[in-house]
Amino acid sequence: MIKFSHVSLVYPNSTTTVIEDLNLEISEGELVLVIGPTGSGKSSLLRLINGLVPHHTGGILAGDISVHGLSTRMVKPGGLAHLIGIVGQNPLNGFVADTVEEELAFAMEALNMPNEVMRRRVEEVLDLLSLVPLRNRTIATLSGGEQQRVAIASALVMQPKVLVLDEPTSALDPIAAEEVLSILHRLVHDLSLTVVIAEHKLERVIGFADRIIHINGDGRTIVGSPEEIMKISSIAPPIVHLARVLGLNEVGLSVRHMRRLTENIRNSTSIQEKHIDAPSTKTVIDIEKLSVMYGSHSVLNSLSTTIFDNEIVAIMGRNGAGKTSLLKAIAGVSENHSGVVTTHSLLSKDLHSKLRRQTIGFVPQEPSDLLYAQTVEKECAQADSDNEIADGTTLSLLHHLVPGVSPTTHPRDLSEGQRLGLALCVVLSANPKILILDEPTRGLDYEAKKALTSILLEFCSVFNRTVILATHDVELVAELATRVIFIADGDIVADGPTHSVLLASPAFAPQVFKVMSPKPWLTVKDVISVISVKPQ
Amino acid sequence: MKKISFHPLTWWIWCSAIAISVARINTPVFALTSVGVVGLIVFFYREIAPWGKTFMWSLKLSLWILIIRILTGLTIGVPIPGTVLFSVPRIPLPHWMPGIRIGGDLTLERLTSALSEGIIICAIIVIFAAATSLTSPHRLLRVLPVFIYEFGVSVVIATSVLPQLVTSIGRIRQAQRFRGQDIKGLKSYRRVAIPLLEEVLARALELAAAMDSRGYGMNRKQTRYRPISWALRDSAIVASGLLVMGLS
Repeated sequence: MIKFSHVSLVYPNSTTTVIEDLNLEISEGELVLVIGPTGSGKSSLLRLINGLVPHHTGGILAGDISVHGLSTRMVKPGGLAHLIGIVGQNPLNGFVADTVEEELAFAMEALNMPNEVMRRRVEEVLDLLSLVPLRNRTIATLSGGEQQRVAIASALVMQPKVLVLDEPTSALDPIAAEEVLSILHRLVHDLSLTVVIAEHKLERVIGFADRIIHINGDGRTIVGSPEEIMKISSIAPPIVHLARVLGLNEVGLSVRHMRRLTENIRNSTSIQEKHIDAPSTKTVIDIEKLSVMYGSHSVLNSLSTTIFDNEIVAIMGRNGAGKTSLLKAIAGVSENHSGVVTTHSLLSKDLHSKLRRQTIGFVPQEPSDLLYAQTVEKECAQADSDNEIADGTTLSLLHHLVPGVSPTTHPRDLSEGQRLGLALCVVLSANPKILILDEPTRGLDYEAKKALTSILLEFCSVFNRTVILATHDVELVAELATRVIFIADGDIVADGPTHSVLLASPAFAPQVFKVMSPKPWLTVKDVISVISVKPQ
Repeated sequence: MKKISFHPLTWWIWCSAIAISVARINTPVFALTSVGVVGLIVFFYREIAPWGKTFMWSLKLSLWILIIRILTGLTIGVPIPGTVLFSVPRIPLPHWMPGIRIGGDLTLERLTSALSEGIIICAIIVIFAAATSLTSPHRLLRVLPVFIYEFGVSVVIATSVLPQLVTSIGRIRQAQRFRGQDIKGLKSYRRVAIPLLEEVLARALELAAAMDSRGYGMNRKQTRYRPISWALRDSAIVASGLLVMGLS
């Protein structure tokens, strides 16, 4: 279906090749997963398939890519619209119409299809992706998961042979992600659709993949079955790390498979009481009867809770449950809110300039919103002068946290993880008492996530500070958080130590627990600590 | 409740007619009445979407225009004799600029004339902003013929990316507040403008790529999934606007 022959790609003004001599044939009905570190060229590979690279982006392409016999050299991306459906990283940026139905019809209108055909296909695809109740809704009012489904539907309505998706679940909560992926699985099996998908959160997709393309970032690519790739790849989901540390001969890719492989281990170790430090009782943030309204729509209903010193609190919940609103209200920048939020016995909405920086550090969902300088160096210098600290302090912090960032780079040209690191350093340079992060792991690979985890743990334990983060990433929460607050529909529905909250909900349980249950282990680290203690 | 939907051209024609009437009648009373009527219509029929906010923004903008118009009208230009409100020092001008002066006696007559001119200018701006608020740019685009591919792409990008600007400005300003930056003053504009510009460019490129990969512009002719029809109520509204224009 898709054939790469001797494909190499170089971008202008760049010294590294993105892809070098890639030979690959993807057959009909195959689901191929593209993995690699951030910035390694996963998106480029996907966009090569329908010719957006190099037709849209520039770059030097050698070799040939053909889809269903059509070479991308000969045809513009538009000429492949009936063959390839492509869904971008952020579907909202690719929508062109106001309502769901109009969005679905857009591509068919552009190709001048007869009205009866359009009607029939729109109905079919609405049914296929269970979008019927949403057909007349305005797209801007849909939740993230719904938008992703609309984006997939508007690609499928053309009845393409190939569907290309760039991180389709990165912005979704675990349940919405599961839904999108199971739809893809069904399409592959029922319609024999060929799917190429790039994703960081391997724990979500690996079970569905037929083959994996591993991009190294230096031009080299490895293609193989999931089992082969997972034996050698440093990019691997927790379940594979578990198999490695347990020294299993096989690598199980599904929870079911891994449970079979680890039956002995589960039965042979006794449950040990995990030593938990007595929680601090020093109140840092006090939230009293907090309500947030947007127009007539209530986002948070009268929440009350207290956050203590030295805690790492994860705020979880569905897309649109009110996580971001809560964070903003804690930081005191939310309008239309009633109730009282005090941080270190100061009203957080009265904080400003220096006092604000020193009390609350906030890293927003788009870390680049914080940045405006032309180079990394200037950005750090600005932070130094803002906070009246010695020149170069922020820059050296950055080198400590994210090694290998060139000071003369433009912040926009950094990789996702490096940019987050820079924003984090700018925020940390003020030495805030509380650090708040909104969805910090969106688009981060495992390496960057690991780095972030250790930074935050250090910040919390060494400097005795409080961290609050909103996230969908169950595995991150398991590694990091000491406490989880679960929000649904504007109410706190669960609040307690990470262990008890995560284990109580099957959808939000981390992979290691799914494998090892009923043992209360959340992470590979938990398992190692018990196994190594175990008398042989 | 499903909102009554109008043909995208209806409000544009109606608002143009009213704007022409405002210019022809040329009295502040009629201008203010029109703004009131238009405001009511916007209140009832505006769409809950980024472009729905255009009307409110135009009101804020008008206030600034009015203030600037009054200040310049009072102090610069041809003097109108009458009741002197107060005097400011007059800046001497060379002899070859007779009749024009800066400063001097500020009269009530000059104030009223500047005010009424200002109101009429602002009313016209606000009326067109109302038309924008009432009509989805995407639907408007659909009734206009696709002449040239590039033109179509840029119009779609302008109409869908620019309204999102308002949302982005809010988000970026908020982020700057997180950083404890002062969000007032000239310097802060640079801090908002740079991330904003970068984001808009990135988005525009992404949207263009998305449209391209979905086959936009491959065919000169386009079919319509849901043809937008001209109903009796559209004719009635347009007729009322034209009537006002005729009477003016």
